[in-house]
Amino acid sequence: MPVALNMRLTGNEEQEVTLTGTLRPFVADEMASVRSSLEQAARTTRGTLCVNLKRLKYMNNVAFLELNRFVRWVAHTRPGLRVKFVISSVIPWAVRKFQVIAELYPFVTIEVYDKAFYPIQQVIEDDDFMNVLRTQQKIIWEHEREKLAWHGLRPGLRIADICCGLGDFAILLQSDFRPEYLIGVDHSKPFLRYAWQLVSDFGLENIEYQYGDAAALLLPDNSFDFVSCRLSLQVFHEPDHIVNELYRICRPGGRIYLTNEMMSGVTGYPNEEVIRHGYIRFLELCRRVGMDLDIGLKTRTILHEVGLEDIKICLLGITNMNTAPHDFARVVESWLRTAKQMAATANAEPELYEDVSAGLTAHIEAITRDNGFAMWPIFAGSGRKPFRTS
Amino acid sequence: MSIVKTITPAPPVEADFASSRYRMIMAARFTVGGFAREWGHCHLLANYLARYVSANEGDPERHATLLSTFINELLEVIFRNHAVEGQIELIFRKRGRHVILQITLPVTEQNRVFYRMAVQIVNQPDLKSWYRARLEDPADGEDTMLGLLELAAVYACSLTISEPPGQDRLSLFLELPEVDDMGEV
Ligand SMILES: C[S@@+](CC[C@H](N)C(=O)[O-])C[C@H]1O[C@@H](n2cnc3c(N)ncnc32)[C@H](O)[C@@H]1O
Repeated sequence: MPVALNMRLTGNEEQEVTLTGTLRPFVADEMASVRSSLEQAARTTRGTLCVNLKRLKYMNNVAFLELNRFVRWVAHTRPGLRVKFVISSVIPWAVRKFQVIAELYPFVTIEVYDKAFYPIQQVIEDDDFMNVLRTQQKIIWEHEREKLAWHGLRPGLRIADICCGLGDFAILLQSDFRPEYLIGVDHSKPFLRYAWQLVSDFGLENIEYQYGDAAALLLPDNSFDFVSCRLSLQVFHEPDHIVNELYRICRPGGRIYLTNEMMSGVTGYPNEEVIRHGYIRFLELCRRVGMDLDIGLKTRTILHEVGLEDIKICLLGITNMNTAPHDFARVVESWLRTAKQMAATANAEPELYEDVSAGLTAHIEAITRDNGFAMWPIFAGSGRKPFRTS
Repeated sequence: MSIVKTITPAPPVEADFASSRYRMIMAARFTVGGFAREWGHCHLLANYLARYVSANEGDPERHATLLSTFINELLEVIFRNHAVEGQIELIFRKRGRHVILQITLPVTEQNRVFYRMAVQIVNQPDLKSWYRARLEDPADGEDTMLGLLELAAVYACSLTISEPPGQDRLSLFLELPEVDDMGEV
């Protein structure tokens, strides 16, 4: 029975027991170790016992009944203890199944941990913004494609694109870097639907998309040659979790590839002071909703800390002279709209948005002016997963 | 335990399946002996079949994970309740966004009684309360019928039975709920 069991004691008030993998026993007796861990945890917790099932992909009824028996045991043996089942919206059977238990027993709750953890998700799922993401992709791609071979990408690889967004990367790779297989994972169903439609329209059979959480992927260990995560680490409170997952699914000898923005380096001329100040304030606003848009600077450290070797970093220097100014300006316009919605979400003081607006408007002017100059720096970094960890 | 006598909906007949509303997806046949040799076969087969049936969905893996949950429960019940010899036949059809699984298996008289009872319970009007009551008062051993009950009570699957006269075989029809391309019920 390939279920992994993990217990974490986080003080007397809360204990967590994590079950991952597959739990489909023939008889409940096969779950004796799970049951005794649960009981042990319940005995030593005063407040809440969390049963973490985020990455339990399969569970049969024998197992479910045993959990139900455990809950009943708690009711009799540890009255006053609360039990919380932590489940993920990614596991398609879980919510309904556990809802029944939560309805039956007042001391049991379920928490769908990933219900709304990306604060600006709604903002970016809007049709208009989807177009902008595509424009952004288009202008980045022209610079990125030249660098990908240097980062170790070549045709015939098994690729995982984590936080794939609208899935364009998969399509763009087809001509120069046709993968043997590519799976794109994202936590937005509208994006994935769009991506899948695109792939069906092109009749591509080597691409698949999956709804998932980058911090708790269901993909197996050591199974991809090239794992990318583009312009996405910045949206997470704790990017380490994501990077650990990228590392886990990458095979030894394979490479992890990141692109990260550095908003504090966005600039332009004329009005460079206003532009810089605008982006500094934009960064501040992003931090309030839990995003770090200056993460580009940390790219090397991130790759190093997760344990990669042969680290490479380069700059994708997008300027209004190597990119269609019209497209570039549209991208900045979209940031401005996003900033407005973010300011509302964060309940920010009006001056914050005003500064952002002044800076970004000046940037757009610099981009579109005949004699203006404007840039948007993005770092592309990669590293190899070692064959043996010391 | 008492069973309320109710009329179970009639299973679809072969003539229905011939209509254009049903799309045949795949069929599989294997011996009872081979299947019943190992418990792990339920899991492997459920995943394999689910993955095949989900191949053209927007999120094939998630769709398959859900289908595997349903198929596995049915296979586990079959694993525990079948005659020792003969063939098991599985047919998957699709009507709109519903997958219908027909499983035909060799049975003993005892098995036959079990399946009739299961279908009857699953089709009684107050299924949800039944299901909850069984969770609140769980049996000591394995409650092998509860998997099927849950499919109906929690996921709105429907289960019917067809017993061709004079044969030691019967068919179960499990109609899965509407599942979207991303594997959402
Ligand atoms: C700024 S977009 C980048 C998308 C794409 N890589 C690109 O370069 O256009 C960030 C993406 O991360 C996705 N995302 C946010 N939280 C996620 C999570 N926990 N797991 C997976 N994807 C997530 C969002 O849905 C969005 O598509």
